Amino acid sequence: MTGAVLETRGLEKRFVTHRPLFGTPTEVHAVNGVDLAIHEGETFAIVGESGCGKSTLARMLIGLIRPSAGQVLYQGREMSGLPQKQMRALRRDLQFIFQDPFSSLNPRMTIGRLVEEPMRAHGIGTPGERRERVGRLLARVGLRPEHADRYPHEFSGGQRQRIGIARALASGPKVLIGDEPVSALDVSIQAQVVNMLEDLKEEFGLTLVVIAHDLAVIRHMSDRVAVMYLGEVVETGPVDAVFDAPAHPYTRALMGAIPVPAPGARDSVAAILEGDVPNPTAPPPGCRFHTRCPFAVARCTRERPALADMGGGRRAACHLRDELPAFDTRAPEPGRTPGAARRFELWRTARSAGQDDRHRKTTQAEETQP
Amino acid sequence: MHAEHPRLLSVDGLSVRFRHHPANIVDDVSFTIGAGETLCIVGESGCGKSLTALALMGLLPKPAAQVAAGRAVFEGEDLVALDESRMSDIRGNRMAMIFQEPMTSLNPAFTVGDQIAEAVRRHRGVDRAAARGRAREMLEQARIPAAEKRLDEYPHQLSGGMRQRAMIAMALANDPALLIADEPTTALDVTIQAQVLRLIRQLQAERGTGLLMITHDLGVVAETADRVAVMYAGRIVEEGPVAAIFDDPQHPYTIGLMGSVPSLGRRSGRLETIPGLVPTPEAMPRGCRFSTRCPFAAAVCAETPALTEIAPGHRVACARAPIELRVAEDAA
Repeated sequence: MTGAVLETRGLEKRFVTHRPLFGTPTEVHAVNGVDLAIHEGETFAIVGESGCGKSTLARMLIGLIRPSAGQVLYQGREMSGLPQKQMRALRRDLQFIFQDPFSSLNPRMTIGRLVEEPMRAHGIGTPGERRERVGRLLARVGLRPEHADRYPHEFSGGQRQRIGIARALASGPKVLIGDEPVSALDVSIQAQVVNMLEDLKEEFGLTLVVIAHDLAVIRHMSDRVAVMYLGEVVETGPVDAVFDAPAHPYTRALMGAIPVPAPGARDSVAAILEGDVPNPTAPPPGCRFHTRCPFAVARCTRERPALADMGGGRRAACHLRDELPAFDTRAPEPGRTPGAARRFELWRTARSAGQDDRHRKTTQAEETQP
Repeated sequence: MHAEHPRLLSVDGLSVRFRHHPANIVDDVSFTIGAGETLCIVGESGCGKSLTALALMGLLPKPAAQVAAGRAVFEGEDLVALDESRMSDIRGNRMAMIFQEPMTSLNPAFTVGDQIAEAVRRHRGVDRAAARGRAREMLEQARIPAAEKRLDEYPHQLSGGMRQRAMIAMALANDPALLIADEPTTALDVTIQAQVLRLIRQLQAERGTGLLMITHDLGVVAETADRVAVMYAGRIVEEGPVAAIFDDPQHPYTIGLMGSVPSLGRRSGRLETIPGLVPTPEAMPRGCRFSTRCPFAAAVCAETPALTEIAPGHRVACARAPIELRVAEDAA
C-alpha cells in the first residue's frame, strides 16, 4: 500500500426531487460529507442498505456524477473540476462494473464490439491488435473467443457479468469499481465471479472498490470496509476488525440481521432493528441513526457525531462508541457445521483431482449454453 | 416430525411441462407439508422452485405451461384436478401466496384496505364494515403502525417493507391453512428482511399455518425451515430435516451450493465453485441432471437416481451416496 489512489474530501451530492413552481425545491442529501482514502492495491468495500448513497458515491468516484460539494482526488489530482477531455483520459484508468448484466450491455452490439469499444474510445491499438486483445480478454473471463460474434441476449446472467468485466478491463484500468457486481447472480455463479475478480486483481495489479449489501461477500473479498447510513459513513476500518467487533450500533444491527446458513446459529431475535430507514429528504437531526438506535441518548438527537479515530485504522461516528457493551459474536466460525466441512474437503479433493477433465467439461457446458 | 404435524399437503410425482420443450421443467417432485410446519425449497434460478409453487396455486402461465403428471392433495382435494372456479374458492382462502415483489400482487389503483377487504368479502361473505374491520385487524397483526390510516393509502405510498407486510396481511386475512411464500424477503434490505421473517414466523406460530417457503438464500433456510428440499434442474435432489441438510449434506449439488456461499466469519480461503452452468431445458443431461457438473460423477450417473432414504426422514437422489463410502471404494 503506497498511499491513496482515490480520495474524497467532504464529498456531497444533493439531488432535487421536487421543484415546485414557487418556493424551495425538495432535496435529497444522497451523500453528505464523505471523507475516504482508498489505497493502491487494496479491495475497498462500501456497504449499506438501499438509499444509503453508496451507488451515488461510487459514481462520483469515477466522475459519472458531479459532486455538489467537496472533492474527489485521483492520484492526488482533483477530478471534480476537470474539463470533459481530461476526464475522458482519466476514465481509462477508472472503470466501472454495473450491477445489472441485462441492462448495462447494448443489445444491438456484438460482444466483440462491446469489449472493443473502450479501446476504440481511448484510441488504443490498431483494429487487428484490438481484435486479438478482445479474444484474450474473453478467454481470460472464461468465455470463448468465438463468442465475440454473438449478442448479449444469447448469454446467461453470469456470462453477461463476465462480458461486463472484460469490457471494464479493456482500457487497461488501474481501478475497478463494481456496483453490486455479483448481487444479481445465483450463489454458485456468484462464487465463480468473486474468485475471478480476485484473480484479475492480482494479475492486473488492480485496486478494487466494491459496493455491496451482502456482508458475507464483503468480508470474503475486501481488505477494508466503509459502512454507510443515510448518506454518511458511520464506520470504517480493516474488514476483520470491523466484523469481529463492530463499533457503530448500525454496523452491529446489520451484522445481527444477516441470516446465517447454520441452523440455530441465531436463536434469539431480540437484536432485530425496528422501524424503516427515515425519509432521506428529511433526515433526522443529530445522529441520523438515532431514530432506530437502541442505545441513543439525548445528545444523539442534537449533535451530529464526527467520524472519530479509534486507532488501528478504524473510525466510527458514534457519541457512545467507547461506552457500548461488548458485541457478542454470533456466527460460529467458519459459519458452517463440522459435518458440512468434511463434505467440502471431499468436494475440494474431487474437484482438484478431476480438474483437467473437469475443465474440458466446463468449456463444453459453456459452449452448449448460448 | 410428522407425528406432531398432521399432514396438510402431499405432493406426489408433480411434473410441469412447457410446450415445445422436450424435458419437464419440474420433474417428478414429491413432498409433504404438515400443519404448522415449514418446508423450504431451495435452489438457484431456473431450478423449478417457483413453478412448483405456481402449479400448486393453479397459477401456471397457461397454455404455455401445464401440469404433465402428478397429484397434489390439499385438505382432501387434488389441486391439480380442480376446475378454475373451485380453485378460486381455495386460493386466497385456505391457501394463499406471497410474492417477492409486492407490487405484482397489490393493485396500484386500489387502497390497501379495499384490497384486503375484497379478499375477505370474496371468501367470507361479510358486509363492508366487517371486512374493513378485518383488514385493519390484519394490518395491526402485521405490525403496521397507524393501521387505520394505512387502510386508505395506496400501495405506492408505503415503503418496500410495509408493502411486504400489507401483502402478508392480505394473504393471511382468511386464515389460510397453507401459506406459500416465494422469495418473500429477497427484494428487502437485511434489517427489513429480519423484521419480515420474524413476522412470518410469529404469525405462523400463532395460527398453526403450514408454510412452503421458496428461497435461494441458505441463511433464510437455516433460520426458518423445519425441513428442506433442495432442487436442481427441476428435480428434488435432497430432502430432509434442516439440521440433517446442514450437518450432513449428501447430494454433491447441496455440498457445492453450501461451499459457494461466503461465510460471515473470517475468510477461509477461496470459495468453492460448481463448474459450468445450469443445463437448459433443451440440453438436459440424461440420467442425473447434475452429472455434467459433478466432481463425483461416475458411469452409474447416466441413470436417473431415485430419491432414497439415507437416514430417517433424510432422502437423497444420488447414485454415489453415501459419498464417503463411494469415494473410498473408488480409491480401493
